[in-house]
Amino acid sequence: MISRNLHNDLEGYAEIKEEIAVLKKYGTDFTLQKGEVARIINLHHPKKLSLRISQIIHETESTKTFRLVSSTRPLPPFQAGQYINLFVEVDGVRTSRPYSISSPPSQTAYYDITVRRVAEGFVSTYLLDEVKVGDIFQSTSPSGQFYHNPLFHGENLVFLAGGSGITPFMSMIREITDRGLNRQVQLIYGNRINDDIIFNKEMEERSACCDNVTVHSVLSEPADGYNGLSGFITAELIKERVGNLDDKMFYVCGPAAMYTFVLGELKKLGIPKRKIRMEVFGPPPDIKSQPGWPEDVSINDRFDVKMKGKTTIKAKAGEPLMNSLERAGIVVTASCRSGECSLCRTKLVSGKVFQPRGVKLRKSDRAFGYIHPCMAYPLENLEIII
Amino acid sequence: MSDYDVVVIGAGNGGLTSALSLAKNGLSVLMLERHNIPGGCATSFIRGRFEFEVALHQLSGLGTEEFPGPLRNTLGELGVMDKLEFVRMDNLYRLTMPGSLDICLKADRAEAIAALKEQFPEESSNIDRFFDLLYEYCTQWIHVTMLRDPKASKDKYPLYFKYALKSTQEVFDEFFQNPQLKTVIGVYWSYQGLPPSKVTFGDFAIILWAYIEFKPWHLKGGSQALSSTLLNTYLEAGGDVRFNCGAKKIMVSNGRVTGVITEEGDEISTDRVVSNAGTATTYVELIEPEHIPNQLLRELGTMTLGTSFVSIFMGFDQEPHQMGIDQTTNFITTSPDADHVWDRSKTLSTPEWLLFSCYDVDDPDFSPKGASQGSLVTISYAKPWLSVPPHQYHEIKYAYAQKMVDTLAGVFPAIKDHIEEIEVGTPLTHMRYLGHPGGSAYGFDRYAKDTEFFIESRSPIKGLYIAGAWPGMGGFQPSIQSGVTIAKSIQKSMETQGGERS
Ligand SMILES: Cc1cc2nc3c(=O)[nH]c(=O)nc-3n(C[C@H](O)[C@H](O)[C@H](O)COP(=O)(O)OP(=O)(O)OC[C@H]3O[C@@H](n4cnc5c(N)ncnc54)[C@H](O)[C@@H]3O)c2cc1C
Ligand SMILES: Cc1cc2nc3c(=O)[nH]c(=O)nc-3n(C[C@H](O)[C@H](O)[C@H](O)COP(=O)(O)OP(=O)(O)OC[C@H]3O[C@@H](n4cnc5c(N)ncnc54)[C@H](O)[C@@H]3O)c2cc1C
Ligand code: FES
Repeated sequence: MISRNLHNDLEGYAEIKEEIAVLKKYGTDFTLQKGEVARIINLHHPKKLSLRISQIIHETESTKTFRLVSSTRPLPPFQAGQYINLFVEVDGVRTSRPYSISSPPSQTAYYDITVRRVAEGFVSTYLLDEVKVGDIFQSTSPSGQFYHNPLFHGENLVFLAGGSGITPFMSMIREITDRGLNRQVQLIYGNRINDDIIFNKEMEERSACCDNVTVHSVLSEPADGYNGLSGFITAELIKERVGNLDDKMFYVCGPAAMYTFVLGELKKLGIPKRKIRMEVFGPPPDIKSQPGWPEDVSINDRFDVKMKGKTTIKAKAGEPLMNSLERAGIVVTASCRSGECSLCRTKLVSGKVFQPRGVKLRKSDRAFGYIHPCMAYPLENLEIII
Repeated sequence: MSDYDVVVIGAGNGGLTSALSLAKNGLSVLMLERHNIPGGCATSFIRGRFEFEVALHQLSGLGTEEFPGPLRNTLGELGVMDKLEFVRMDNLYRLTMPGSLDICLKADRAEAIAALKEQFPEESSNIDRFFDLLYEYCTQWIHVTMLRDPKASKDKYPLYFKYALKSTQEVFDEFFQNPQLKTVIGVYWSYQGLPPSKVTFGDFAIILWAYIEFKPWHLKGGSQALSSTLLNTYLEAGGDVRFNCGAKKIMVSNGRVTGVITEEGDEISTDRVVSNAGTATTYVELIEPEHIPNQLLRELGTMTLGTSFVSIFMGFDQEPHQMGIDQTTNFITTSPDADHVWDRSKTLSTPEWLLFSCYDVDDPDFSPKGASQGSLVTISYAKPWLSVPPHQYHEIKYAYAQKMVDTLAGVFPAIKDHIEEIEVGTPLTHMRYLGHPGGSAYGFDRYAKDTEFFIESRSPIKGLYIAGAWPGMGGFQPSIQSGVTIAKSIQKSMETQGGERS
């Protein structure tokens, strides 16, 4: 900076001063824009949604669809395949679970989520057994990375689904058929038995009326007399059903065990990584069988978790740290509960945790000891900063 | 007793460096950040097996150990220099004008001149004269503003007084004939946000000169490594931080800061607030209007919200050289007319200027082995995006991005067959993550009238300081340095206050 009395010696200084004097009279009144940023962001990505259950649809013996309408503002747009994280309070514990939206994004009067019972599942059991029309829940805005990206996915899509993993595909198929989008879809949908197939009838109807959607249902434990496809979703089956594999984009969504199997099959077929999209699937049912789990820690071991300014709690090795925290009444911000979105990012001051492969930590987060508690399992006494 | 000596709002570059600097000097500091991670623009996110760099393309002002730039000294003072590993780029940039020009300039005066002369032999002497002016101007600038020569005058430093406020375009027109040559030399205008006809030569010259002299750099782990290191050093120095915790109000009484209220409703008392939340947000959203002097509002009113970006983050399943990418920094422009390019950036029609950075060229560890990432950016003002109806947003965003990818594929055809991930961010994305109106990454537009000669940088509200890109220049170096400068003046004011009290 030069001293102010030299400013006048700068060529052009006086003219600019005049310009400023004029602008001061006719400039922008920024105070009129108060609240504008928040308003715009809330149209696209409100932090929280308040949702009321307007209808409960019986899908199968173990599955229901919950139709959610907004009890406050219009629902934000989403991309077919995205999920919301639903906040619930069960037995006095505040927790959340992500559920893919099964209704299409072509309308946002409501979001459907379709929930299947998980044996001894904490939240799925509650949703299926206790929730009634009119109940109100909070959720995150739709998020997640499992959707059609026109910049590189192309128009030829193969959907590989297992069990409740059908829900994001249902949203996509509904969008494609409702809007008449120019995308070719082959869905290969694996289930144990016929009665497990969610959206069976609707999918038959949609594929019957739209040439660009084909559905192949596969049963692993079919009843006697069944004459459809059976077994698992193998390389042979994919090759035989899909035909030319070259120009296809493969999407996989299903239970944890299905990924290991199906990815192996796609590898056998020589499908490159860039042609495979996978939805995240949350904590694996059997953590100790994950590669890298230390032999000397049992899933029933319990460790102390110390937090600055809070009471120390006990946490089970075989359970994500986030669940233990929630049981102790400490709610950590969360969305994916799968180690992907980084919303729950927490500083680990001391102690060791197990984070299964696929947990997406930034390089510097690894270096400075940050963890994603939704997918971090205590292996020792811990100290964290919440 | 106040809860804290200083509350810092926002953990962008300016917030982090002011907080660290203050904490290191023994002050009690609380930093509030609405997001869950430090950095603001200076951050990264993960898709698939890629950790994408959000903002940093070329770090300016670092210099080498032998010839250190101002940023090296600043980071050294902050105690983070030896915790970071920097990657030097040999080139300023490659510029491609599809079908008509392709040139690469080295970050070296003689070599850059040689490349320019080879491409534009008829302007050889003009090129020499221009570089002489550039260097002589910057030397005078150093004497006047950095070394603060008390005898500075128009006679002693004529170039400084003649050119500081001139438009860059006028200077180009004075020296060069060929419009392409002007495009090649002027391409860094985009790092400042306004075309050569609107950015002062003073601002432009320093950018070009500094990149040549101090070299462009990147760092291992990307800009997130910088933010996380600053934060960690701050925590070690005893600073407190709350993430997922925005500031809702800065409390003011009798023209003085008295505290901060968080979004959760916590009240924190303090006499000093450093706001990294941007000038507009600080005065419009965080402080009640009755505390804002009219004069200040009129000054703000003369300014306009600066540009944001559309960024496309691409992960490839090949290494750069396999796809014909051999420079880190690649500009592509389909028009030699920067004014036209800039006008376009206020619409949603095909952008005519792109920057494509492929960090793996100079840092093979940047992405996983056998893979690489590219960041494809264009300047884009928020205005047209604000009127996109939410239900059409995704479609319009992809259509816009497709045009950018097509232009890029015109220069690097192989990329199309190797895309493994793509994420697109628009001005709305920047608005969401930064909270700045217009999604502005550089703060206000910086016309001649917005330079330091005309702007009062001190806040009329006592105890309030604004750090980061908004009150000065945009970019890493300026925002990093702004925090340190503010910390120094806070300390000074506390010392004099302390003196008064005793
Ligand atoms: C992105 C995403 C989208 C999802 N979308 C849907 C959806 O559309 N519909 C739906 O029904 N579910 C969906 N889920 C799963 C859902 O979030 C819950 O994990 C599921 O409802 C079980 O929760 P819970 O509380 O009942 O079980 P928990 O109490 O969390 O788990 C009980 C036991 O079951 C195991 N377990 C947990 N999840 C599963 C599982 N999926 N399969 C087998 N064992 C499991 C646990 O390890 C534990 O041993 C989605 C998950 C993710 C990450
Ligand atoms: C795509 C892109 C490319 C770029 N390329 C380059 C480059 O190559 N070289 C270069 O030098 N510069 C580049 N920049 C510019 C540079 O990144 C920015 O100018 C600089 O990082 C701004 O720093 P800042 O200190 O102003 O803080 P910002 O990064 O603006 O951060 C502000 C912080 O404040 C927080 N905040 C806001 N409101 C509140 C509140 N109420 N309470 C709490 N916290 C709040 C925000 O969450 C954010 O973390 C680029 C920017 C972008 C977006
Ligand atoms: S909630 Fe997404 S990473 Fe933990």
